[in-house]
Amino acid sequence: MKDQLGSFIGRLQPGWTVECSTDGYGVTVGWCVLETAGDLLPVAAAVKQAGGRLSTITAYQPKDANATVREIAYHFDMDGDTLTVTVRLPRLGAEIDSLTPLFRNADWNEREFMELYDIQVRNHPDPRRLFVDATVDPAILDRLIPFSTMVNSASTKTLWERIMAKTGGEQ
Amino acid sequence: MTTYTIPVGPLHVALEEPMYFKVEVTGETIASVDINAGHVHRGVEYLTMQRNFYQNITLTERLCSLCSNSHPTTYCTALEAIAGIRIPERARYLRVIADEIKRVASNLFNVAIMAHIIGFDSLFMHVMETREVAQDVKETIFGNRMDLGANRIGGVRYDLDAKNQDYLSQQMERMKADLAEIVDIYRNNSMIALRTVGVGVLPHDKALEYAVVGPVARGSGVAYDVRSKAPYAAYDRLDVPVVTETGGDVRARALVRLREVQVAIDLIQQCLRDMPDGPIAIGGLPRIPAGEAIAKSEAPRGELIYYLRTDGSDKPERLKWRVPSYMNWDALHVMMEGNRISDIPLIVNSIDPCISCTER
Repeated sequence: MKDQLGSFIGRLQPGWTVECSTDGYGVTVGWCVLETAGDLLPVAAAVKQAGGRLSTITAYQPKDANATVREIAYHFDMDGDTLTVTVRLPRLGAEIDSLTPLFRNADWNEREFMELYDIQVRNHPDPRRLFVDATVDPAILDRLIPFSTMVNSASTKTLWERIMAKTGGEQ
Repeated sequence: MTTYTIPVGPLHVALEEPMYFKVEVTGETIASVDINAGHVHRGVEYLTMQRNFYQNITLTERLCSLCSNSHPTTYCTALEAIAGIRIPERARYLRVIADEIKRVASNLFNVAIMAHIIGFDSLFMHVMETREVAQDVKETIFGNRMDLGANRIGGVRYDLDAKNQDYLSQQMERMKADLAEIVDIYRNNSMIALRTVGVGVLPHDKALEYAVVGPVARGSGVAYDVRSKAPYAAYDRLDVPVVTETGGDVRARALVRLREVQVAIDLIQQCLRDMPDGPIAIGGLPRIPAGEAIAKSEAPRGELIYYLRTDGSDKPERLKWRVPSYMNWDALHVMMEGNRISDIPLIVNSIDPCISCTER
């Protein structure tokens, strides 16, 4: 384990735990799960003090449609080692603090998961759409969209009927 | 002086892929930039969760052209970490060779385009001619000039016999003299210097603040390279110097890329010297248990990170990757402000942006 991850582990508060494993190359990955979303900013501050860098953020859709909890994983680079901090949030109406005051590059990551999932970010400096056009419904990956709705009821049969109508063939 | 907003893109002669910039200018000087993305968002990340692990090797390779090998390599590394697979020794070296050949072609393409933007088209052709050696190598060894199809879970899908090893060694040797000349031109030519020195500067402290990676970071003196910080494949056995420049400008980033081509050639030659005989992959189709893993690699544009979570089925529960261009875009705000309108294409090109990778 390199000094940065070690330094972060030295700053752990009660209730925060990190499980680590080191591979054959000597590269360590640490996993930390936060049951309280309010702990995210203090943990991120401790990562920053230890010299860490935000690598990326992963939000995901719970596979179970009836799940009451969803997760966001924050991945930090610690001089080559990686610390993943997973935050548990309510499945519906999830809100989380923006990491942009600590890590500027959280900006795009948070904009991206805000537009794809039903998660609001508090105090984001620029909460506009990032990739998905404004005409597309919000939280698009959290929705079940029937195929017939997605294609606006247009099917190959409809297309074929139009072609036949234009060419004067039998329908 | 009056301020105007100039639209650049999404389709523009200086951009290879679509990105839309709203550039505020005062006279000839850039005051601020607003970046609008999303023109090639394909939902590939979501698609990978509807495909099985094996299909995703093919899919991830098609995310991007220039760094196409970095994606399946890193994806397979994540799967192997979850399944506890140790790939054969020979496969480790073969993964390095495939990645470094791609780096040679990718970096040379970017610096060639830089010469073209400046209007130094004889240099553009000289660099592209040198790059063509790497393209020939790819076609000869992998049967393809872009997607190599080199990876599988538990190893690689190609091998080098004695004849191909000799050929690869000769081709790498052949590039060296041309490269030395090209590096000298980019470092010392007055026309290159006039257009690139002090242009698009990203100071060291801003490089850290914006968390940029790859040649963009190393051009601003940030000595971070995944190959040495978090080794994978056979990089732990190889001598991998971390190339840095301190200028933080367009030329510094080009010089890092060119010097990294020289390093890549050296790494390929180290591999050819040290690679042991033996199998190139584990046998069969491994079962991937439930678990989660992080895998990183140094793609031509910098740190590529994959997060994979599995649930014991044959599909990823979650697969997320972040490409190096993702943060490098944001740093354009710093690089562009105070520069001239005519330098916009040069500065955008200097981050070697990959939009297909960024938007997925």
